[in-house]
Amino acid sequence: MEFRLTAEQELWKNTVREFAERELEPIARKIDEEWERIPDEIIRKMADLGIFGVTIPEEYGGMAMPGEEMQYAVITIHELARGELSMSLPVYTLLCIGWPLLLVPYGTKEAKEEILPKVASGEWFLGINTTEPGGGSDLANIVTVGRSDGDKWIVNGEKAYISGVREATERGGGHLTLFKTDPTKGYKGTTFAYFPADAPGTTYTTYRDMGRMGLSTGGFVYKNVEIPKKYILGEENKGFYVNMEGFNVARALVSAACLGGAEKCLEISREYTKQRVLFGRPLVNFEAISFEIADDYAQLELLKLMLQKGAWMIDQFYQDRSSFTKEEINRTISICKAHAPMLAVEIAKHGMMYHGASGYTKDTPLEMALRGFMSYVVGAEGGYHIQKIIIARDYIGEEAVPYRGTQKAH
Amino acid sequence: MNIVVCLKQIPDLQQIRIKDRRPLLEGAPLIFGDMDKSALEEAVRIKEKAKGTKVTALAMGGAKLKDGIKEALAIGADEAVLLMDPPFAGSDTMGTARALAKAIEKLGEHDLILCGEGSTDNYSGQVGPRLAELLDLPQITYVRELEIEGNKLKAVRNMEESFEVVETELPALVTVADEINQPRLASLRDILKAARKPVQEWTAADLGLSEDEVGAKGSAIETVSNLAPEQERKQVVFKGDLDEVTENLINALTKEGVLGR
Repeated sequence: MEFRLTAEQELWKNTVREFAERELEPIARKIDEEWERIPDEIIRKMADLGIFGVTIPEEYGGMAMPGEEMQYAVITIHELARGELSMSLPVYTLLCIGWPLLLVPYGTKEAKEEILPKVASGEWFLGINTTEPGGGSDLANIVTVGRSDGDKWIVNGEKAYISGVREATERGGGHLTLFKTDPTKGYKGTTFAYFPADAPGTTYTTYRDMGRMGLSTGGFVYKNVEIPKKYILGEENKGFYVNMEGFNVARALVSAACLGGAEKCLEISREYTKQRVLFGRPLVNFEAISFEIADDYAQLELLKLMLQKGAWMIDQFYQDRSSFTKEEINRTISICKAHAPMLAVEIAKHGMMYHGASGYTKDTPLEMALRGFMSYVVGAEGGYHIQKIIIARDYIGEEAVPYRGTQKAH
Repeated sequence: MNIVVCLKQIPDLQQIRIKDRRPLLEGAPLIFGDMDKSALEEAVRIKEKAKGTKVTALAMGGAKLKDGIKEALAIGADEAVLLMDPPFAGSDTMGTARALAKAIEKLGEHDLILCGEGSTDNYSGQVGPRLAELLDLPQITYVRELEIEGNKLKAVRNMEESFEVVETELPALVTVADEINQPRLASLRDILKAARKPVQEWTAADLGLSEDEVGAKGSAIETVSNLAPEQERKQVVFKGDLDEVTENLINALTKEGVLGR
């Protein structure tokens, strides 16, 4: 059993931390409020450092360490989130480095050669596109349809609450998209493929979010959009499984973003309560404060360890598919995704309370972090309650699965 | 051209806790000091300009050096030599300089030795000059700008009140101030490549040094105590007319060197 990072992982962690302190911390507030976008200059610097290549093999322009892709990805996102507490940049990045992990084993060579080098160089954005106006958790009932026409599909439909609609359209790139190719069947009629954001017939709208304002959220409308079949991941009508497998990667990285941000918020609170003197002693000398910080720290360390294990399991799985079952990975990652965003919200909220009235102002980054974290409690590859369904399905059994209809007791 | 950069692992000063004025060094992560990293960065920049340059990172320290040296290799050193041996432990600046000098002689031909002007922990600033004496090389300290053309080295030294421009011929030893450059961050590609670069470990015996010449035994300096400086706040309060006190405050801060630097 080995709980230590390798020397190279440790060095990479310190490198990304220093980059985040030097380049991101000073501009996080501007990303969230002033620019409402991530500057190109920062994306270029991240690409130079190799951040967008951590999961992409060398042959496709990346610099992944084979067998440690997820571990590097988790380290990267954790450290970026410490420096950019609005969560805009960590989420932009986690989408770009998460989904290549699925494109590599399931994409066609042609698609990989076209897309991956552009993602690794930071030029293109790569996101995920499953949710529809009707909902995001009930994916068997999506209605966007692709009609087969020779070597392409003609797609009509609508997607909603998609991260990076503007970025993919303006910068280049696109989204891995789940759509129906056999509308008579539920999830067994779905296909998963890359949709370039600039495919003719595609339009987008954006929403006003509560937080992480530096990354757009919006919807796509598809009117007779031609998608070449070379962009498929896996097989036709079996897209649901590939998509679900990808959610484990994305959930792990969302957890990493929340834990990195939470760690930073907790450090802000620790330093503040040590220095702030009230009633003749440091604030942290009151046990109501120090005990809560101790509890939050303990929860944070527990989840970091769980996520480290989950990332390692995913890495083992892609090296040897008999190493872990998908169910084992599902439950490990769902535990992280259920609790990391919730803990992050709690830690930010506690920090705001230690700061008193100033905690409710924009003088600290805590409110910005809280707004960003909430996004991942509510949604992002399955909200809080969906993760519980997954954990319950696995731990309790079929009796606990609501989407299978009325269940009889066994 | 062959460049040797001397590096020292020190406790990360940002992460040291002080208890009863004593720094708690145990458990603090070890890093290379800022000026050492600037020396390495300068060597890598020279290498990028002058083809065929080889940069060797040389460091003395404990077991953690084995992992730590990978940072130097990732930033651009071509190979590393580590002086890791129990007899080296507790060396003072003289013992350290002796060991480094022997190692540099063992490495063979060298054109430029680069060091930080001091280590960020003890800051004696002695190892570079002592090393130059032992190797019988011209030494230029406190360098903020460095230029090499052929066999000539031109350097600008920071003498605080003035700059001094000096020239010498190679081989030479230069100690750099951290203002000379902003050390780069190693990219992931360079970090992963670093694992394949050659690293040698030499003992005192490999260098032909006896136990009386290095380490605690060979040390002329005894550390009596190591205490954190106590900084009392000045607690100056200006009262009165707002414009007047503002001016007084600005004057006081300027006098302290906080403003107008």
